[in-house]
Amino acid sequence: MPPITAAIALVIFGAGALAGSLGALLGIGGGVFLVPFLTLVLNFPFTAAAAISLTTVIATSSAVSAGRTGKHLINLRLGMVLEVATVAGSLLGAVTAQHLREATLERVFGVVAAVVAAIMVTRMRRRNVLLDPAADPGVLGGRYYEDESGGTVTYRVRRLPIALGASFVAGNVSSLLGIGGGVIKVPALNAWCGVPLRAAAATSAFMIGVTATSGAVVYYGHGQLNAPLAAAAVLGVQVGSWSGLRIGARTQAKWLKLLMAVVLLIVSALMFVRGNQ
Amino acid sequence: MSDLRLEAAVGLVLRIGVAASAVCLAAGLGLSMLPSAAGPAHFLLNAGLIILMATPVGRVVISVGEYALERDWLFVVLTTIVLCELAAGVFAAVR
Repeated sequence: MPPITAAIALVIFGAGALAGSLGALLGIGGGVFLVPFLTLVLNFPFTAAAAISLTTVIATSSAVSAGRTGKHLINLRLGMVLEVATVAGSLLGAVTAQHLREATLERVFGVVAAVVAAIMVTRMRRRNVLLDPAADPGVLGGRYYEDESGGTVTYRVRRLPIALGASFVAGNVSSLLGIGGGVIKVPALNAWCGVPLRAAAATSAFMIGVTATSGAVVYYGHGQLNAPLAAAAVLGVQVGSWSGLRIGARTQAKWLKLLMAVVLLIVSALMFVRGNQ
Repeated sequence: MSDLRLEAAVGLVLRIGVAASAVCLAAGLGLSMLPSAAGPAHFLLNAGLIILMATPVGRVVISVGEYALERDWLFVVLTTIVLCELAAGVFAAVR
């Protein structure tokens, strides 16, 4: 790990800004970009990178969600239900991460990124939207106005056990790898549970704050969180997610999905190379 | 309609948390560049990180209260479970 200087803090601030804007665009935490940067480029130990990244995930979640409240895009009830699973998974992951080898964590990161990219591409055209805007969305469903299509989108949540299972895995992977876990929840909610991409992304971004907190607390308590570098990353991410959110409103869902898949494949390959060195 | 109120309250908690932690972290990071201000820098950085981690917890606490006011007991139970899990995380951290 490089010594902490003003220069390295500045580099991490910049990396955070980039990760934050990409994360806001894709509705994921940004950690999926920051962890590879810290480990592959700056040669940080995996747990140190994961700890810093988790704090930025919390910041992204709070900042992005604060800007989105009032638009009904965040499904609060669905979020609360799934948080029971994500936080449980996250606790398990943070404790497990203390006992796993560096190369193991890197390979798990590679597998997770590749699997999610595959799901994303194969489920490209699914929208799962109820056409009648007056339809009853049920207790967990939702309704919001979509600028892109200029209409009201109404949806019901289907296959809740799958959503809960995916959320547990997402929470687990979140604190294990220092990512938000949106890369798992968003495709699962969108592809199998009937939640439109934008609502799934907004709800996931909302949930990952609580999810990442339960993991970050464990790293913090174990002295694995470098406070000045976490501060630089968090401030960078907040600047980045603020700008990403503004670009995101004008980007189409189809291109978001494709971009997400391509980025994940690149990250996956890089992590495998490192894990097998 | 009360979901609207919860959404507004959650938004307020998140905005305050984000602003307060950003101010502490920025001040702490700035001071940490001065060798003479190591103590205050350390304090501000840790305060910022703790506020950051407390913000999502705060919005879960608000949700428990709001669902209790609505007498939506299923969601009171669900949000309370999330709070207990977060408490378990703090316990695992300080143990």
